[in-house]
Amino acid sequence: MGFIAESSSSPRPPRLPHGTRDSRKHTPKPDMRGLYQRAIKESFVKLHPRTAVKNPVMFVVWVGTIVTFLMTLNPNLFGTIQADVNQQRLLNGLITLILFFTVLFANFAEAVAEGRGKAQADSLRATRSDTIARKILPDGSITEISSTQLRRGDLVKVIAGDTIPADGEVIEGIGSVDESAITGESAPVLKQPGTDIASSVTGGTRLLSDELKIRITADPGQGFIDRMIALVEGAERTKTPNEIALTVLLAVLTQVFLIVVATIPPFADYIAKFISTIYGAEAGNSLRAGASVAILISLLVALIPTTIGGLLSAIGIAGMDRVAQFNVIATSGRAVEACGDINTLVLDKTGTITLGNRMADEFIPVNGHSLEEVARISLIASLFDDTPEGRSIVKLAQKLGVSADIDIDKAEGVEFSAKTRMSGTNLPNGKQVRKGAVDAIKGFVRSRGGRIPPELDAAYERVSRLGGTPLAVCENDDIYGVIYLKDIVKPGLRERFDQLRRMGVRTIMLTGDNRITAAVIAQEAGVDDFIAEATPEDKIEVIRSEQSQGKLVAMTGDGTNDAPALAQANVGLAMNSGTQAAKEAANMVDLDSDPTKLIDLVTIGKQLLITRGALTTFSIANDIAKYFAIIPTIFAAAGIGALNIMGLKSAQSAILSALIYNALIIPALIPLALKGVKFLPLSADQLLRRNILIFGVGGVIAPFIAIKLIDIVLPLS
Amino acid sequence: MKYFYGQTIPAIEQITEIWLTWRKQKLPLYLFLAMCFNVAIAPIVYAATNEQLSRTQAWALGLLGLVTVGLSIYLFFVMFVPEKF
Repeated sequence: MGFIAESSSSPRPPRLPHGTRDSRKHTPKPDMRGLYQRAIKESFVKLHPRTAVKNPVMFVVWVGTIVTFLMTLNPNLFGTIQADVNQQRLLNGLITLILFFTVLFANFAEAVAEGRGKAQADSLRATRSDTIARKILPDGSITEISSTQLRRGDLVKVIAGDTIPADGEVIEGIGSVDESAITGESAPVLKQPGTDIASSVTGGTRLLSDELKIRITADPGQGFIDRMIALVEGAERTKTPNEIALTVLLAVLTQVFLIVVATIPPFADYIAKFISTIYGAEAGNSLRAGASVAILISLLVALIPTTIGGLLSAIGIAGMDRVAQFNVIATSGRAVEACGDINTLVLDKTGTITLGNRMADEFIPVNGHSLEEVARISLIASLFDDTPEGRSIVKLAQKLGVSADIDIDKAEGVEFSAKTRMSGTNLPNGKQVRKGAVDAIKGFVRSRGGRIPPELDAAYERVSRLGGTPLAVCENDDIYGVIYLKDIVKPGLRERFDQLRRMGVRTIMLTGDNRITAAVIAQEAGVDDFIAEATPEDKIEVIRSEQSQGKLVAMTGDGTNDAPALAQANVGLAMNSGTQAAKEAANMVDLDSDPTKLIDLVTIGKQLLITRGALTTFSIANDIAKYFAIIPTIFAAAGIGALNIMGLKSAQSAILSALIYNALIIPALIPLALKGVKFLPLSADQLLRRNILIFGVGGVIAPFIAIKLIDIVLPLS
Repeated sequence: MKYFYGQTIPAIEQITEIWLTWRKQKLPLYLFLAMCFNVAIAPIVYAATNEQLSRTQAWALGLLGLVTVGLSIYLFFVMFVPEKF
């Protein structure tokens, strides 16, 4: 009969790391003042040919604008026109103006996204400023230099109140560090050398107490915050594979339409000659006028995918920006995009799926011992254990009114190690008290000639089936019982894993726990698969095995032993509280050190890809309406006037309406490009159907209505 | 000989300087090359249109053709080396 802790039924909601996601303060909010004024100025700067040539679709529009401008100056530049020259000049002028604004709007979209990225970079930059560092010279003396002069490998001394000058690793001293400048978390973090997690410090954070000796691990400008600044500012922005594929598609479409439009005049001339003989010279001239250079340029601009061409880079920059707002530092746009293609998530159990701190919930006596005896031995075994688990055992034992009754000054603590898988206390009378994994304690007892009581396995199984971690306790060769360490699955995770499953993402839980415990937790959390009794090597093995099936894998990690797996994974998310090795191996670093954020990153990545796909579909679907607006009206003389299903007033009005729509749709879609298409956790098929309906069918219908409305409003006959 | 070198070397220097300036400013160079190329194309356009176009119009149309072909080559370049754009 065991003792059940009453405190476990407390109605208080479980604590998430650093509070709930919504309540968490992220990196200093970017200053967006003057963003639009700067963007307007920047959109004119981007008209420079050297910049314009980087966007193939808009460059074609830009060249078209120059040609129509020349035709505004001289309407007869490419052939003598039959119509009124002033009227033609006015039409050419209007076309030039609309095309110019089309280019300007596309530049504006990019400039707004870049401006937001720059503001984000400025807020990141504000977290680190030049400080005076106390560099320790080889002879042990200290010299004060600027933090920008520090190099990788330098040793610095930081005392309470100082700002840590650069990213580094604590090699001496213990001190609490305020990391709120980068994480928003106000509680100080203890930093000390040797430990896997707590030895790494970030430049720009502040030491609150004591003093530390730090080895610098990054050259100036090479810290991970510096890399992120360069990335969000666009200085090191290289095209992602998806962007490259889309650029090729847009270039192909533009090329096809360029060839089609450039070859229209000979056909038009041939048909005009034919029509002239039947309907008279006027009909033929009307057809030739329809194939005039300014109108052909308008047709080309209306047909090429200007909407997505103008918004493509803005979508990519906004995606990076969203990741930065989430307090995650990505070292490449490729990593953000890869998040959207992830097939498998490899997650650690502790800290990711369950709350990090396992709490002692029950003592289960075996071998004829009483509950008080097990509690006392457990208390003695945990006297030197500073982990949350150890403290919870002490608390539970004290709650039972048990005391250790030993001279603690003469006792010796035995630390936990991965090799022995147990910890404990060596008593002054020579007795050894241990607690640890049941297998490890069995081995310890057997080595001292002890007997394994049959109830031990039953207690072990019982705890495992409850999803808890069983720890056996013994004194020399005598096993006293089992401690039930209760694991709490983070609230809301089951729903999120369900969402991921619907999106086609498989989740694998890795845990050092035994198979029964792992199975119970896996079922409770709703993960698709689990690997029990996993070693760090298993992580890299599972990643390799998934990748060999052509899948993209994401994982989180914080320890040095996670570094190879983080490097192997397609998306490796390291915790900011993790070691420098882990952070360098990963392609993303979470400043909040919240492993569940990987799930949010998958959502952001998918949203980025969906937004790009949706706007591409919309842009191409728009062509149908523009084609029906322009072709039947300019070639009405050829007998295709009946195709003017929108009933547009005239050829001029149809062209201007289609071009005005073409130009205005770019700024109209800027908010969507920056915010991203609303993400719904649906399967790939459902998402495809939904987006084809909204952006495909919508992209066909919307321009029909908009062009007709513009045609009605335009004062042209 | 002295006279010959005295006149020629500054001329070569000037040509080199102009060439280097052109290499820095690519757009004027491309426009200049297009104009040169159009010297061959414009007469063909003029001849092909049975004098329906004036010489200026034939010249402009030749240039427009070159711009169109240039754009087409540029788009092929984008297709083959998209990461540069």
